[in-house]
Amino acid sequence: MRLLGRIGALLLLSLLCEAEQFAEDLTLRPLRDGKLAASFSFTTLLENATPRHPGSLEYDDDSQHYALFPLALGQVLREFAVTELHLTLNAGKWDYDRWGYPDEPGVGTGAELWAWMGDSAFISVDQRWKGLRNALAGLFCASLGSLDEQRTTSPILSFQPEGSLPNWTTPHQLRHATLPSEHVCTENLTPFLKLLPCKSRSGIATLLNPHKLFDADWHGMGVHVRYRQDIGVEVRLAFQAVIDPVRYSPERRREVSQILTCIYPDWSFLSIFDRVIERACPVADTSIIRVKLPTEASYAMTPTPTSIDADLATFLVDDAMKPLDIVMKWPGESAFSYPPRSMTRPLTHLSVRRALHGSNQYSAQLFISVKNNSPVQVRTGYLETMPWLLQFYLHTMHAHIDGVPRDDLVTLLSYTAPVPHARPTLLQAVLTLPPESTLQLTLDVSKPFLRYTEHPPDAQRGWDLPPAIFVPFSFENISQEDWDPRNTAWTLLERPTRIYTPVLLVDPATPDFSMPYNVIILSCTLIALIFGSVFNYLTRTFVVVHVGEDSH
Amino acid sequence: MASMGNMDTTSSRSSKDPSKLSFQSTKTRRLILTAYWGVILLAIPLWWRTTSIERQTLPTARVNAQQGKELTFPIHVHLDVSDDLSGRGGALYEEVQRSIELHPDLRDTAGLRIRVSSKEKLPGAYRVVVKGGSESPIVDGRRLIYGVHPESHTLSMELADALATLLSPYSTLRSSQAERVAKYAPRYRLAFTLLNEDAASGTAALSWDVHASLSSHIAPTLERLSVLHNFTVESQVQFYAPLAFEPRSVGDGSSHGLTQEDLTVFINSAEWTLSSSVSNDPVLHFVLFIPSSSHSPLCILDSNGTPTSSTAFILPQWGGIVIYNPPTANITLQLTSDALSPVFTTFQQQLIALLGVPALPAHIHTQHKTASDATFTDWQLDALIRRRAVENTMGAQDTLQSIVRLVTQIENMPVKRDVKNDVQEALMELEEAYAATSFSSALALQHASEALTLASRAFFNPGMLALLYFPAEHNYAVYAPLFASISAPLVAALIREIVAWKRARKAKQEDTAVKLKDE
Repeated sequence: MRLLGRIGALLLLSLLCEAEQFAEDLTLRPLRDGKLAASFSFTTLLENATPRHPGSLEYDDDSQHYALFPLALGQVLREFAVTELHLTLNAGKWDYDRWGYPDEPGVGTGAELWAWMGDSAFISVDQRWKGLRNALAGLFCASLGSLDEQRTTSPILSFQPEGSLPNWTTPHQLRHATLPSEHVCTENLTPFLKLLPCKSRSGIATLLNPHKLFDADWHGMGVHVRYRQDIGVEVRLAFQAVIDPVRYSPERRREVSQILTCIYPDWSFLSIFDRVIERACPVADTSIIRVKLPTEASYAMTPTPTSIDADLATFLVDDAMKPLDIVMKWPGESAFSYPPRSMTRPLTHLSVRRALHGSNQYSAQLFISVKNNSPVQVRTGYLETMPWLLQFYLHTMHAHIDGVPRDDLVTLLSYTAPVPHARPTLLQAVLTLPPESTLQLTLDVSKPFLRYTEHPPDAQRGWDLPPAIFVPFSFENISQEDWDPRNTAWTLLERPTRIYTPVLLVDPATPDFSMPYNVIILSCTLIALIFGSVFNYLTRTFVVVHVGEDSH
Repeated sequence: MASMGNMDTTSSRSSKDPSKLSFQSTKTRRLILTAYWGVILLAIPLWWRTTSIERQTLPTARVNAQQGKELTFPIHVHLDVSDDLSGRGGALYEEVQRSIELHPDLRDTAGLRIRVSSKEKLPGAYRVVVKGGSESPIVDGRRLIYGVHPESHTLSMELADALATLLSPYSTLRSSQAERVAKYAPRYRLAFTLLNEDAASGTAALSWDVHASLSSHIAPTLERLSVLHNFTVESQVQFYAPLAFEPRSVGDGSSHGLTQEDLTVFINSAEWTLSSSVSNDPVLHFVLFIPSSSHSPLCILDSNGTPTSSTAFILPQWGGIVIYNPPTANITLQLTSDALSPVFTTFQQQLIALLGVPALPAHIHTQHKTASDATFTDWQLDALIRRRAVENTMGAQDTLQSIVRLVTQIENMPVKRDVKNDVQEALMELEEAYAATSFSSALALQHASEALTLASRAFFNPGMLALLYFPAEHNYAVYAPLFASISAPLVAALIREIVAWKRARKAKQEDTAVKLKDE
């Protein structure tokens, strides 16, 4: 009977016929400090598809037939009825001040996984979350399995769905976890490439050369699945890298140049990726390379782009002559000069610093300094998803601006206390930042004692703590004249973007790991000694021994 | 100073004799010693209880009793002798029955109890229609139409032979055919993959009409097999699937060939994303391979190195592969269901071969009525069900035996309640399988596969590994400093006390003896 139903569904599916589309694009953006931001994006759209309804988990799933959509990922999504999924694996610290907002917002160091899933009476969201992270761990060869209950939170304010959620009777739930100590490497990129229809053998994906990408100053990959109402299910595989062409430049020319005049070093696909595009991916519907053009210097670019729109040059890979190697040269300039940091203004609305003060192994102080770079008041969400390794004393939380207490700027505080060995802290707040000012937030924390078996290998190194996340969401009305014309990057954000702070390292008290055996031996000796003496005194026979002549 | 004194009965004449003190009396000392040993003896059961490993007793006797037990299926054959042969009538039944009992294949393969009768309308009975004529035997459903020369004297032998090949086809199976059959699983994943060696090289199929091909070729087979297995069907297309070796060029170099050795390493599992990550169900892969323009056309070579007409091959227990050479090179195809028809017919044959459906003997033909009937007959399906039931029963018996043997062998292995329950339930399912054979082989299979699942679950129970790596020696080594140093004075004091008591008694006896003598 069940089989008949499946055959029926099969026929129905063939009638519906889900079309698939694949688009690949690469955006190259020169950065102010001479680096080059490369952002790969491979989007597969399964038209007219809907995420699996969690209520149907009780029954057999429909057959999955894909041409472009990655089956390995599709299986995971259907098995656990995931509506929206975001997995990022990053290495390095994204420098917001110098590089601006990234093209893909998820740039937190290490692994970050968050998913929206519909509730189901049959299998709970938490069970499916566990299955999901284990399945993804297997798929991407990453230790995502350790994103367990001790790291899982549900920070709904900062992680709103990027697509739409189907209108089911049961509500959707968010699960989010970060693992800052995860290192992204070639073993993660290989399965990532296998999910692409053209692997890394043709089209833009050819440029994904692990030798160069993992040599970049910053690199990270992401898998983003979302459901778009009336359009379908979309999988976006993204890879971002910040490459330093100066380092690869054969001449290594450097000279002192005029301050604030940005001159970019020469680069080409061959120099930064060590590969060129030999042939187009035959199944890509669109295959576009965009290069953001520098505004100041006189440059020369080969080949001629397909079209130039304002400061964006566009190349269509299908039409371009193969092999395609985009070369950017500044023939007039003999050297690249780094702009001095003090003279350049940050490119984002906020500059955030976070540190852990204190020298003992019992308590510390969490210090956060948020600088509002814009001339208007900004309100920002603040999120800490801290493992129970750091326990907050919330009453000690204070805000200062220039040494003046301003606790009124911290509003809408919500706090979920940690449960030792079980659940992390979730701290969400809204910070109001006056124009051009720096808010300093301090919070006393304590470091708990860990159980002997809870220490990781190389325990003396300490624990990586996940990044804090800031989401600037509300800006005062800005008049055009207030705006600094030099900072063109300061456009208003279309939607709230997350800003990740760098990770922290906490150093809880670590035992001497040979201790248990020492303790056993020592206490055994001690007990035996005491026992022996007491026992002897209790059972010993005393006699009087007369010494000398007197005895007779 | 006090020193360790022996039990000196000759007391000194000192004003203060230590042995007269209340806590120095022999009675008190013995009480203290008894108290110490009492605590230790009372603590032993507690220590035993807290440190012992939970070992539930397994029904070893019942498991051992299973050995050698086999499923026996009663089979009713209704012999329908047509009019022109009726002269031979009743004698024929007995003749056929005797031939069957003497037939080597049916005699050796215990497990079938064949009854030939003239009774009709028994559910699940086979019908053999014997009629005059010389056409070859035809199978249709559970019916065998057997044409025979009316004067034939070997009729009963021929019939027994035909029945043997139909009812017990596996006894004559070659081992290579038997080995390619996938291990039984209640659910299989069927993964159909369109593999382009290099889609950008020119020769490629970018899409295929897999829905229509599946529903017309594979779905009827799956429906027939739904008694045995559940299936999950999935398909994908890959555009870059390089081979791990360079195919040999054949003839003038215009075509390429795969040698028999190449076929064994054809699957490039490092580069082809075929594996599934979400379920533990076994996967059967069906790959349509389209060689790149540089390797096209690709054919299979026989052992002499000459090309064969075959383009498909089976990898035992893994799946089937079909090589598709496009009619013209350098063409980008959209494979329609018409073009895929021969491919999916091959896939269907590979599927039933991998699942162990026996082939019909060469001289027996089927009566094709409709396309969906063309898959295989009830004779074949029944034989497969019986075979899988026997296999699973034996598998469950073996697994249960192994558990019992392992548990007896490794004394530190914990056996928890759930393992015991699984073993008991597996035994129960086995009993039900034996009971079910008389009325339904499908039900027997169901119980047998359930028994196998339970037995495997018990065997792979993670709780059985728990304390394997904490040997007793380890504990002794850690606690020896405590136990040794404490037990030394305790034992010494006990021995001393016993010796003293014996000596005191002896002295007393001598004393009384002397007294008696004196008197």
